[in-house]
Amino acid sequence: MSPRKTRLRKMEINHREVSFPEGVTVLRAAELNDVYIPSLCSHKDLTPFGGCRMCIVEIEGMRGYPLACSTVAAEGMKVLTDTAAVREMRKEILQLILSEHPASCLICDEKTECRENQFTIRKAGVTTGCQNCPNDGQCELQEVVEKVGLTDIEYPVYYRGYEAEHDDPFFDRDYNMCILCGRCVRMCQEVRGTGVLAFKFRGPLAQIGPAFAKSHVEAGCEFCGACVSVCPTGALADKVSKWDGQPDGFELSTCPFCGLGCQIELYHKDGRLSKVHPNLDPVVNDGQLCVRGRFSLPEATHHHTRARKPMLRRGKYFREVTWNEALDDVAEKLKGLKPADFLMVVSGDLTNESLYTAQKFVRTCLKSNSIDSTARDLLPGGPGLWAKLFSLPISIKGLREADAIIAVGLDSRFYFSVAGVEIRHALKDGAALITIDPRDSNLARYTNYWLQPTPGQEGAVLKAIANNIRRATDFSPRGAAGKDIAKKTGVDKVLLEEAIGALSAGEHLAVLLGPTVFEYNANEDLVDALLKLAGRKNTSFLPLYNGANTRGVLELGALGEVLPGVAKAKGQGLSLADVISSRAKPKVLYLVGEVPFFERPDCDYIIAQDIYYPPFEIDAFLPAASFAEAEGTLTNVEGRVQELVQIEDLPDGAVAGFMRPDWYIFSRLAERLNSREFKYKSARAVLKEISKTVPGYPAKPNRKPRRLASKAKLPVEKRKAPVAGTGPYLLIAEPAGFGHRGIDLSSKVEGLEELALEEGFRLNPDDLQKLQIEPGENIAISINKLTVTGPTKADAECPHGAIYYYRPVALGGLEQRANLEPLYRLRASPVKVKARAAKATGKKAKKKAASRKIPMAASTL
Amino acid sequence: MAFEPVLMKHVNVPNSTALTVYKSDGGYEGAAKALKMKPDEVVDLVKQANLRGRGGAGFPAGIKWGFLPPDREVTYLCVNADESEPPTFCNRITIETDPHMLLEGILIAGYATKTTIAYIYMRGEFTEQFHILQKAIDEACAAGYFGKNILGSGYDLECYIHRGAGAYVCGEETGLIESLEGKRGWPRIKPPFPAVEGAFHKPTVVNNVETLACLPHILTRGVEWFTSLGTETSAGPKMYCVSGPVNRPGCYEAPLGISCRELIYGEDFGQGMRDGKKVKVVLPGGLSMGALRGDMFPKNPNPDQPDPKQDYDELDCILDFDDVRRYDLLGLGTAAAVVVPEDVDIREVLVNITRFYALESCGQCTQCREGTMWMYQIAQRLRAGAGRVCDLNLLVEISQNLGMMPGLSICGLSDGGGWPVRNLVQKFRKEFEQRIAEQGADAAARRIKEINPAAYESPIRGYQAAEVHP
Ligand SMILES: Cc1cc2nc3c(=O)[nH]c(=O)nc-3n(C[C@H](O)[C@H](O)[C@H](O)COP(=O)(O)O)c2cc1C
Ligand code: SF4
Ligand code: SF4
Ligand code: SF4
Ligand code: SF4
Ligand code: FES
Repeated sequence: MSPRKTRLRKMEINHREVSFPEGVTVLRAAELNDVYIPSLCSHKDLTPFGGCRMCIVEIEGMRGYPLACSTVAAEGMKVLTDTAAVREMRKEILQLILSEHPASCLICDEKTECRENQFTIRKAGVTTGCQNCPNDGQCELQEVVEKVGLTDIEYPVYYRGYEAEHDDPFFDRDYNMCILCGRCVRMCQEVRGTGVLAFKFRGPLAQIGPAFAKSHVEAGCEFCGACVSVCPTGALADKVSKWDGQPDGFELSTCPFCGLGCQIELYHKDGRLSKVHPNLDPVVNDGQLCVRGRFSLPEATHHHTRARKPMLRRGKYFREVTWNEALDDVAEKLKGLKPADFLMVVSGDLTNESLYTAQKFVRTCLKSNSIDSTARDLLPGGPGLWAKLFSLPISIKGLREADAIIAVGLDSRFYFSVAGVEIRHALKDGAALITIDPRDSNLARYTNYWLQPTPGQEGAVLKAIANNIRRATDFSPRGAAGKDIAKKTGVDKVLLEEAIGALSAGEHLAVLLGPTVFEYNANEDLVDALLKLAGRKNTSFLPLYNGANTRGVLELGALGEVLPGVAKAKGQGLSLADVISSRAKPKVLYLVGEVPFFERPDCDYIIAQDIYYPPFEIDAFLPAASFAEAEGTLTNVEGRVQELVQIEDLPDGAVAGFMRPDWYIFSRLAERLNSREFKYKSARAVLKEISKTVPGYPAKPNRKPRRLASKAKLPVEKRKAPVAGTGPYLLIAEPAGFGHRGIDLSSKVEGLEELALEEGFRLNPDDLQKLQIEPGENIAISINKLTVTGPTKADAECPHGAIYYYRPVALGGLEQRANLEPLYRLRASPVKVKARAAKATGKKAKKKAASRKIPMAASTL
Repeated sequence: MAFEPVLMKHVNVPNSTALTVYKSDGGYEGAAKALKMKPDEVVDLVKQANLRGRGGAGFPAGIKWGFLPPDREVTYLCVNADESEPPTFCNRITIETDPHMLLEGILIAGYATKTTIAYIYMRGEFTEQFHILQKAIDEACAAGYFGKNILGSGYDLECYIHRGAGAYVCGEETGLIESLEGKRGWPRIKPPFPAVEGAFHKPTVVNNVETLACLPHILTRGVEWFTSLGTETSAGPKMYCVSGPVNRPGCYEAPLGISCRELIYGEDFGQGMRDGKKVKVVLPGGLSMGALRGDMFPKNPNPDQPDPKQDYDELDCILDFDDVRRYDLLGLGTAAAVVVPEDVDIREVLVNITRFYALESCGQCTQCREGTMWMYQIAQRLRAGAGRVCDLNLLVEISQNLGMMPGLSICGLSDGGGWPVRNLVQKFRKEFEQRIAEQGADAAARRIKEINPAAYESPIRGYQAAEVHP
C-alpha cells in the first residue's frame, strides 16, 4: 500500500482562506492552519468520539453547532470557530465538565497564592484540587480552561467519591479526576487492540475501567501506558513520577531496552530523569511503547542498589577507591597477560561507541581476540546466520504497510509490543495475518489463520508456506507434500492451504519472527524458509532478538571471531562457553555490563564494569554510566544508528556517584597500557572513527536503515541435532525476561516484578490436572539424567503436552532462582522430558539443594 | 364513517397469535402482493402512502429506504422493538396479539429494501412477548414466509430476535445497532447514517414495530385508503396510549389527528378523568416530547392560535406530527399520553421526569451526562422544599443547552430530557414560584447548610452570591 497522494483543498476558516489535505477533519484543518479549536476527546490516532463537545464550531449551511473533530472538511466550507455564541456555549460545556472534576481551584481567584502555600508532603494520591493533582502544570484540561477563558462555574463541584486505584503496577488511577473523554478506552481498543478498558455503567455513573471489576493485570493489560499518555487529566498517572511535578523539559532519545529502538521523550526535573513518554516518531514507534520503555527507565537507573562508586578488593575488604586507584590497579592486572589468560565479556546493551572501544581495547592493548558477548546467545545460529539475516530487507514499518503478515512465535503483550501495534494497524487496513505459534498468543487472537504446530515445528510450517506461496492452487492438501507436512507439524492441512491462499493474494508480505523460534535446535527449515522468502519481491522481515544493541555487537566485532564490519578475525580467543564449561580458566575476567553466572567462576581476578554489582564476589568494580548518564548510539534491528542522549549530568559526589561511560573507562585503561589510540574527547569522536572503519556506519546518528553487506564468509553454524530425550512432554525454552546490562530488570523495577512473568513452568491446566499438581506446586522435570524442580503455573495458552519456561536473558538479580541454572544452560529446545509432581520434603529437599552444585552438568548433554 | 381498526383488529380475538388465525382474514396477502412487485415499486408505494415512522421522529419510511446506496450487496433491517419510552406500550400490544402482522411487515420491508437479515431488537423486559414472537417466527419459517425463496419469489430473508439488556438508549437507532453488534449500547456519531453504514458496517434500515405493522395494510387496502386516514401531513392509523387516572387507560387505535382532549375524554378512548378531577399536565408523546397544560387552566379565547406563553388549557392540541409544534412540543413521539391530575404537586412530576433521563443517559456527551444529572439534583432540591427562584432559571438554561437541536449531543436522548423540563418550568412557573414562596425565606440556605456546609461556603462566586443570598 503506497502512501496515498493527498490533494490540497481550500476552505474558509474565520473568513480567511486556508488549504488543507483532502480527507482531514475540520479540527485538523484548523490545526494545520494555526487556528485553535479547544478539544478534549479527540486524538490524532483515534476515531472521533464526539463526547466532550468542546470543539463545536459554526459551519455555513449546517444546522446548530457541528463538531470540528468529527466533521470532515470539504472544499468551500465556511467555518467560524470563535463566534460569540460558540464561545458562550463552550464555556457552558466546560462548566459542566468541571462540575464533576474536583478542581475548582482551576478557576479559583486565589489560585496563584494557593499554589505557593500548597507544598506539603503527601504520601498518597490526594485528589481535591488541581494543585494536588499529579498533572498540575502539564494538564490539557488546565490548558483548555485557560484558553476558553473560563473564570467561574455556576455549579457546585460534585465529588464522585471513587476510591483511587493503586493496586496495579506502574500507574495509578483516580477516576474522580476523569472527564470521561474516552481517549484511554479508544487507545486501548483501537490502537493497542487490547480492549482492557471500557466504559462501565451509564449516565452520571459512567466510569472507566476493565469490565467486571477485574484488575488490569487480570484483564490482560500490557502496561504500555498508552492510556496514560493520552489522558488529558491527572486521572491516570505514572507511579514513579507522579509527584515529581512539572518537568523542566525533555530530550528526544532512544529506548535502551530492545532492538526495535523506539524513540522516547525523556522528561527531566532538576537534572534527573523523571518519566518517559513515547515520541510520535514516524518510522519506528509512532507514539507507542511497551512496558519497559514506558515505565521502566527511571527505576532502572535510580534504584537504591545502583552501584555508583569505583571499588577494589583490599584484603578482606571491598572498599571505595578513587578512579585513579581503581584504574591503576586494573591496568596493573591486565599488563602482560597472555591471550589465554584473559576474557572480556560485553553486554549486547552497550552503546556502539562502547562496544567498538571494548573490542579495540582487547585487540590493540591486549593483543588478543578474547572478547565475547552474551549477545551470542541472543543470536542463536551464530554470526554467520545473522549476518545473512541482517542483509535481508528488515523493516518495522513493513508490518504496517503489508497486505499479508506471517507472525511466527511472538506474544507481543510485554515483548516487542510496538511490533504488535504495527500488526494491528495493518489489520485495520485490511491485511491478512497468519500466525504460526503453538501457543495461543495475543497475536493468535487477532489472526485470520492460526496455524498451531507442535512446538519446534514452526520452521517446517514456514518452509511449507515459503515453498508454496505463489502457487496456492497447486498446493493440494491431498498431495503427498501437504499430507506429510500436516503430519509432521500437526497443523491442520486445510487451514494451511487456506493460509497460503490468503498470503498469495497479498502483494506486500511481512514476516515477523519472535526470538523463541531461533532458539530451537533443528531449525534448518526455518533458515531455508527465510532465504526462500527473501527471494520474493516486496517482502520485508522482522527477526526479533533480545538485547538493545545485539546487532551492534555483530557489526562492531565485539565477538572473538568477528572484526568490525563483520569481517573474519584471524585466530580466536577464549569464549564465554569455554569458561562456563570449565574448558578454560582465564586469570582475569573482565565483565562489562554482563553477569553470565549465578556464582563466581573460578578466576584469579574479576573486574566488573556495570551499573549494578553482580551477585557474586568480584575484585574490582568500575561504575559505568547508565543510558541516562552518557551519550552514545545504538544500532536497531533495521540497522538504524540512533541516538541515546545524556539526560543526567550531575557533578561527581557521594550521592550522585562517579559513573563514567564504558568507552571512557576503556580509553583511560588503554592510556595506562601505553596506547595512544584512545584519545577520544566524546562519544561522537568514537562514532566518527567507527564510520571510517566500519562500512555503512554514519559519522553522526542519522537513523537510516541499513542492510548489512558483509563479504566475509562466516560459517553458518550447523545446529546441533535435537537432544533425544525421552518422555511424554516437550520442554520449550523461551528466551525471555527483561534483561538490561546483565541484570534482570524485574529485580530493579518494582512493577515488572509484580507482573512475575518469568515465574514457574507453564503448563496447560489440563496437563497440570493430569499430573495432579495444583498451580504453584512444584514439578520435577527429568531430562535424561538431569532433574530440576520448580513451581508450576497454569497457563491456558500453552498447548497440551508442552512445558514452557523462560530462559532468562539476564541472570543478574535472579539469585532466588539459581537452582534452575542447569536448565538455563541447557541448549536443547524443545526436548522430550518426563514430569511428575515433586513433593519436596525432608531428605529429598536436601538432595535437591545438592544438585545445585552441578551447574555444568547440562552442558554435557 | 366509523373507523375500523386495522392494527388492533385482532385484539380480543381468541388465539390471535396463531398463523392460522392470522391467515384466516387475509394474513400474508399483502406480502404475497409485494413479492410479486419489484422492490423499488414497493418503496414507491410506501413513499406515496407517506408512511411516517412511528418510533418517534416521524421520518417518512419510504424516503429513509431511498437513502440506501443503490449498489449495496448486503442490507440489514433492524426492527426497533425496544419500546422503552415511559408511558408507551403499543408495540407490546402488537407483539402480544398480532405477531404475524409485524412479521408480514418485516417481510414486506425486507423485500423492498433487499434485506438479507432482519434483526428484531427487543426490549429486555419483554419475556413473554419474546416467546410469543419467537413462536410466531418459527411458525412463519415453517410455512415458508422466511428462509430461502420465499413464496417462490427467489427472495431470501432470515429473521432473528436479539434481546436487549434494559437500556432506554438502546432504542436510539445507532445505540441499537451498537448493542446488536454486542458492544456497549451507545449511540454513534452521525453521519454516517445507518442507511449508509449501520450494523456491522453495512447499510441498515431501522424501523419501529408499528411502522412495519402498517405495511401489510397499505398493500392490501391500497394507498388511497391509507392517505384517506389522518390529516394532510400525517396519514394512516395510529395506536394511541393513554395512562394516568383516566377512567379507561389503555391503547386505542384511531386515524392520526385526534385531539388530546379526545384521547382523555373520548368515549372510545380514556372516557374522562377518574373522580371528575381536572387535568393539570399531559405529556402526550411519551415523556420526551414535552408537556401540555390541562383543563384546570382557562380556555384559550382564541383556540386557533395557541400561545404556549399564556396559561391556557392546551388539550385541543391535535396529536399528529405537526400540530404539536404549535404548542411548543418537540414532536408527536410515541403518541402515548400520560395524564397528571390537578392535585399532584408539579415538583413531583419534575423529579420523576428528570430522574428517568439522569439514569438513562449513556454518558458519552458532556451535556447529557452532566446536564441530566444536575437537572435531577435541582429537581430533588425543589421537591425537598429547598428550591430557589434562580433554580428555575438554571433548569431552563441547562435544558436549552442540551441536545441535538443546538447541536450539542450525539443522540436525541438529551433533547428528550431537556424538552419536558423546559416545558414544565415555563408552563408551570407560577406554581413552582408559589411552592418556593411557601417554603419560608431561608429554607434553601438552611437546607444547603444542612446537607453540605462546604458547598455553602464554597468559593465559587456565582453560586454563592447570586443564589444562596438572593
Ligand atoms: C433516546 C431515544 C430512544 C428511542 N427509543 C426508541 C424506541 O424504544 N423504539 C422506537 O421504535 N424508536 C425509538 N427511538 C427512535 C429511533 O431512534 C428511530 O428513530 C426509530 O426507531 C426509527 O423508526 P421509524 O422510522 O420506524 O420511526 C428512540 C430515539 C431516541 C433518541
Ligand atoms: S496500559 Fe495499555 S493495555 Fe493497559 S489499559 Fe492502558 S492502553 Fe490498555
Ligand atoms: S481516564 Fe483520562 S483518558 Fe480516560 S476517559 Fe478519563 S480523562 Fe479521559
Ligand atoms: S518495544 Fe523495545 S524499544 Fe520500544 S519501548 Fe519497548 S523495549 Fe523499548
Ligand atoms: S445525548 Fe446522551 S444518551 Fe445520547 S449519546 Fe449523548 S450522552 Fe448518550
Ligand atoms: S474534541 Fe470534538 S467532541 Fe471532543
